[in-house]
Amino acid sequence: MNASELQPVVQFLTSTAPFDTFSEELIRRCARAVIIGYYSKASGFVQFDADAPKLYLVRSGAFEVRDPEGVLLDRVAEGEFFGFSTLLSGEKVVNRVAILEDSLVYHFPQALFDQLRSESRHFDKFFTRAFAKRLRHEARFKAKDLTTTSRISTLMSSSPITIDAHATVTQAALLMRNSRVSSLLVTDNHKLVGILTDKDLRNRVLASGLDGKIAVHQAMTTSPISISSNALIFEAMLLMSEHNIHHLPIIDEDKAIGMVTSTDILRGQGSQPLLLIGEIERQRDLASLISVSKQIPLLLQNLISADARAEEIGRVLTSVTDALTRRLIVLNQQILGEAPMAFCWLAFGSQGRQDQAACSDQDNGLLVAEEMDDFAKGYFDALTHAVCAGLDQCGYMFCPGNIMAQNPKWRMSLNQWQKVFEKWVITPEPKALMHASIFFDMRSVYGPQSLFDALQDKVLAQTKDNDIFLAGMAGNSLIESPPLGFFRKFVLERDGSEVKGIDLKHKGNALINDIARVYALSAGIKEVNTAKRIRALMDANILNRKDALNLADAHEFIAHMRLSNQGYQHTQGLKITNYLMPDHLSSLVRHQLRDAFKVVHDAQSGMKMKFMRSF
Amino acid sequence: MAAWLIHAKLQWRTLRCQHQLFKDYYQSLIPLIDQPISQAPLIAIDLEMTGLDPFKDQILSIGLVPIENGVIPLSHAQQKLVQIRGSVGQSAIIHGILDNHLTQAVSIEEAMAWFMEQTRGRVLVAHHSPLDCRFLQQDILAIYHQAVLLPAIDTLVLEKQRLLREHSVLKDGCLRLGACRERYGLPIYGAHSALTDALACAELLLAQVAAMGGGADISVGDLLT
Repeated sequence: MNASELQPVVQFLTSTAPFDTFSEELIRRCARAVIIGYYSKASGFVQFDADAPKLYLVRSGAFEVRDPEGVLLDRVAEGEFFGFSTLLSGEKVVNRVAILEDSLVYHFPQALFDQLRSESRHFDKFFTRAFAKRLRHEARFKAKDLTTTSRISTLMSSSPITIDAHATVTQAALLMRNSRVSSLLVTDNHKLVGILTDKDLRNRVLASGLDGKIAVHQAMTTSPISISSNALIFEAMLLMSEHNIHHLPIIDEDKAIGMVTSTDILRGQGSQPLLLIGEIERQRDLASLISVSKQIPLLLQNLISADARAEEIGRVLTSVTDALTRRLIVLNQQILGEAPMAFCWLAFGSQGRQDQAACSDQDNGLLVAEEMDDFAKGYFDALTHAVCAGLDQCGYMFCPGNIMAQNPKWRMSLNQWQKVFEKWVITPEPKALMHASIFFDMRSVYGPQSLFDALQDKVLAQTKDNDIFLAGMAGNSLIESPPLGFFRKFVLERDGSEVKGIDLKHKGNALINDIARVYALSAGIKEVNTAKRIRALMDANILNRKDALNLADAHEFIAHMRLSNQGYQHTQGLKITNYLMPDHLSSLVRHQLRDAFKVVHDAQSGMKMKFMRSF
Repeated sequence: MAAWLIHAKLQWRTLRCQHQLFKDYYQSLIPLIDQPISQAPLIAIDLEMTGLDPFKDQILSIGLVPIENGVIPLSHAQQKLVQIRGSVGQSAIIHGILDNHLTQAVSIEEAMAWFMEQTRGRVLVAHHSPLDCRFLQQDILAIYHQAVLLPAIDTLVLEKQRLLREHSVLKDGCLRLGACRERYGLPIYGAHSALTDALACAELLLAQVAAMGGGADISVGDLLT
């Protein structure tokens, strides 16, 4: 028998995932094993033979799978499968499969299915829906090792050179000479207490006329600025340039595990986002800031085409927004004069969560330390109007809902902000909460951290374990649900309706943001970035490891699809939207998105169980 | 043809036939006539020929696709290329069979012995069966000196009857295999060979039987022409 002889079958399998990865020879073998059946719509439902379970591949026509309660599970058409859950579990068929159209179906016997699973990892994964593994596998192949998005841990020296705080500076200098380093980490009981650099020895010892017998802790820089080991190189660079320092200890759970120096970083190539931020910090007036900000869309496109992780793209873009905001505040203060009191510029929503993408609008507010007198009111009114207008001109449109610092309503003292949050928490009316959820993703972009902490700590103390509030938040986020999957050219909703496109933001990432927020607020977790919230929830054993990793992967995958879709829209000269049209998606991507939606849906159900049981 | 008549014919042939090969063939078909179509062993066939005249033209290839219990197990689908006298000539363009492909071909004698062996105990199914059957009968007559009876289910006739019952106007070409398949929403197959056309014909029969209500109460005899 030669290959051309069962050509229609071989051709079809060749273009159908997961067979498309098989060798010609294996496809021919599979084609030979096919048993073709015909299902007429008039006969209603597929009759399953309990003694001979099979894999069903639709060649033409369509079917609908529902669970015993009648809940729609899937609608399958040409090139799609049903019946595999029985093959995998070995349990009796419980789902009902309705015949929607007259259909021609390829049956594969259980023996072949099992054999293909053991022969091909790809085939096995396709059906076992090893979702997380598959997506992570995908990500490994896709995400390029971009300098701007690499982790700081890749740069640091593996064994940090440390010295005890009570050693003498002579001992420290000897250690530095022998290890050929310009700085040491100073520890006390394994806890990082400071760093000692060449400069410290010069300025604090020699220039002060002291001798080498003094203790290290007298000469060191105490409470040094440090960074977490999973921070991005780019964030380390930012921190160094902000504080004008050259040494950055790397911390993992309060323990110093390494150090990076500006030289380490400069060894890598100069990166575009950092150059952009550097440029922002050098500009002296609004006009030049506006012209610099014109590069932001290009930066986004570069990051997308470099296939950086969506989470990292969000963090990089938000850092640029933060830098612009800070620069606008500084420039306007130069015009208006020193502020009459301490204040924090608050970022809400996507900027708060550090997941900004194309065409983000503004969501911000102002937190001032005390009640404002008339002068302060006038001052902050002028400052916030100038900053918000500046942001608008730099491409961050005014917030349509008017959640902006220039709106006197969102310009309050600590005391007033606390009261506003308290009102939302105590009387969680659905409508108010939908509006308010944006405020719970807050971060301070400018101003003293202690002032911001005072607000956030109070808010979290109120939300933590607050059943009524959490049930309200959870209920709110269940109004939307992710789609079920795809059916032919359409997106299949859970109620069975078919729509043309899917809003990856509102029916995908936003739902995950909601879930992460509810859990984080319930546990008093300070993080606002969704990926960080999920990680913190996993570390605190509030979400189990598997669910947490799945949710984080689904978040990344959907966000990645959204960004690459926007990259596609950009190159095609189309309007940039969150809408994905399924017609040009590969069958693998359709399956992956479907799996991601399922993870979101399961997480929604889990959240409902946890927070809405008694309501 | 009425089922009882086919029955009678087969009984008669079994008694009268001198050649054991054909005696066995007829005998194997008798019990199938009253079986429900959804359970009977069937075999869809298709021939490629050098032309349409059974007296002048020759068989180039034979495709066989069995149908068992209402499904088509592809593991038993087969095709044989047949050696011909002289060159394939013009029809090579039609069938895509080149002279050198025929090096894998078997003699017509071997092909017919194989055909009789493979189809024993299975009722033939073909699209426009009289044409294929006439070619087979002609070659069998030449080899075995037997005028063989080849009862067959003709998917073209089944379709024509259905369309006439629905009072449809029969347009030119509406009974071609591809056109019939399209009406049942069956996929379009690009390449043609004896095997793919036999497969196409087998799938068409499944669709036709399903449209008749599944075939549990339709016997093989009801569909024979």
